Amino acid sequence: MSGAATLANDVSVQRSTSAALRQTFALAKRSTLELFRQPALVVPSIVFPLFFSFLGNSSFGKTTSLPGFPKVNSYLQFQLAGTITQGVLFGSVTGAAALATDIENGFFDRLLASPTSRLSILFGRIAGSVLFGALETAVFVLVLLPFGADVSAGVPGIIAMIISGALIALAVGALMSSVALKTGSSEAVQGTFPLLFILLFFSSAFFPRETMSGTYKTIAGLNPISHLVEGLRALSLEGFSVSATARAILVPLAIAIVALYIASRQLNARLRAN
Amino acid sequence: MSTNANTVSTSLSTRDMHSTTMRSSWQLVKRGLINTRRLPSAFIPTLAMPIFNMLSFSGTFFALTKLPGFPTDRSVNWFMPLGLAMGAAFSGVGLGFSLIRDLENGFYDRLRMSPTSRASLIVGPILATWIRVTLVTLVVFGAGTMLGARPTAGVMSYVCSWIAAIGISTIGAGWGLGLAYRFQDMRGAAIMQMSIFLTMFLSTAQVPLYVMTGWLHTVARINPVTNIFRLSRSGWVNANDPGYMSWSNSYGGLIAIVALSALTLIFALRSLQKLDN
Repeated sequence: MSGAATLANDVSVQRSTSAALRQTFALAKRSTLELFRQPALVVPSIVFPLFFSFLGNSSFGKTTSLPGFPKVNSYLQFQLAGTITQGVLFGSVTGAAALATDIENGFFDRLLASPTSRLSILFGRIAGSVLFGALETAVFVLVLLPFGADVSAGVPGIIAMIISGALIALAVGALMSSVALKTGSSEAVQGTFPLLFILLFFSSAFFPRETMSGTYKTIAGLNPISHLVEGLRALSLEGFSVSATARAILVPLAIAIVALYIASRQLNARLRAN
Repeated sequence: MSTNANTVSTSLSTRDMHSTTMRSSWQLVKRGLINTRRLPSAFIPTLAMPIFNMLSFSGTFFALTKLPGFPTDRSVNWFMPLGLAMGAAFSGVGLGFSLIRDLENGFYDRLRMSPTSRASLIVGPILATWIRVTLVTLVVFGAGTMLGARPTAGVMSYVCSWIAAIGISTIGAGWGLGLAYRFQDMRGAAIMQMSIFLTMFLSTAQVPLYVMTGWLHTVARINPVTNIFRLSRSGWVNANDPGYMSWSNSYGGLIAIVALSALTLIFALRSLQKLDN
């Protein structure tokens, strides 16, 4: 009798897990389609980083011979990692703003009223950002490659970069989703954009840390964005190696785990408030 | 007798009109300044942005000063005028944003129905912007000094940078107002920001011409904003640099300011007339 109860329990757990996965997939599909159906929302996060890459290449092309600058074929090769991080950061804000819009227009409440797994509401939305982050990374690599942004790690390196881009999107998407869940306001999520911009500029996204000095160098060293960028840059400049791949993947993964924990806590807080 | 009377009456009416324009402009200046005090959330970004720009650019690109022939050995000397220019430009186009708000909430229709001269609707807000830009300039000079910026041409260093900032804000204001009159909603805001941003960065905003390579060198050389940056930086580069303060390094910037201001203000006035029609 007790064995039958355990079996029934196992079956029910399996069913609920598979239902949660199906719901997450359906919501992920929705958020991805939403992004692609509104190109005006996503095109800037692809066009602007590319513009800054070409601008930087023409502006700082001569600086690659400065002491402290890593050995590169062109500034674009150095800048590739910064471009990916910049694009993914901005794209993830758009995804999180969409979650806040769901809260504002009542769609989130309708999901809560339905027998949907609570976590799938969050993960479904973030999955759209993750997919977009991977796509953006692939676009940046493919567009900049013919102009001199070589990836020394070759095809395996490009694949690792795409995974890294997706993980950065997961980390930033989860953090921004926490803001969306906390405030329920898309304006507040968009308001964090300047903060990301500041973090990006106070990092090694555009210039190597080795060429900086004083307090600024210390700030850039403490800034997590620097470590995200440098992981990706290792694949671009140093070639394929276990250590470069581990840096590119493990750093965003660690940040993503912390960010997902924060986001799920914010989700619980919102559910309790509801 | 009748001709004389007509002349006197015309000259009186012209004088009245000028005085009305000045009075209305002054009232709009006052409104702009009161709004700045009452809505600090709209002004603080304009104040914070140039400081952030100066700080982040001079920190990130500190090593640029090690390039042979770089005009200054202090990165903050090079990037402070960039911060000022960005702050001034966005103060200018910010006028466009507030105009869109006024158009959307109906306040502007009431202004247009009043017997106010059309010129005052442009002159007043621009004067208020000049006051705001002067405040921003003073704060940026203070922050720049704390970060290590040192003038190389005395008081004239500050004066040239201030003139450049006022000029850029006027150009930005004319452009912002013109677009706001044309679009009458927030669609215009994106174009305002994007166009100003591109015009600034496609000049010597980040590096001097000789450091640039490829297409950007060609674009920056013909971009009039490059002349304005030369004027703004002329008192912050080394005294032995070819870009150091002199009439030949200043008049290009002054001409660019006057010409671009005239063009954008005519655009604003024409757009206002179109809105009236």
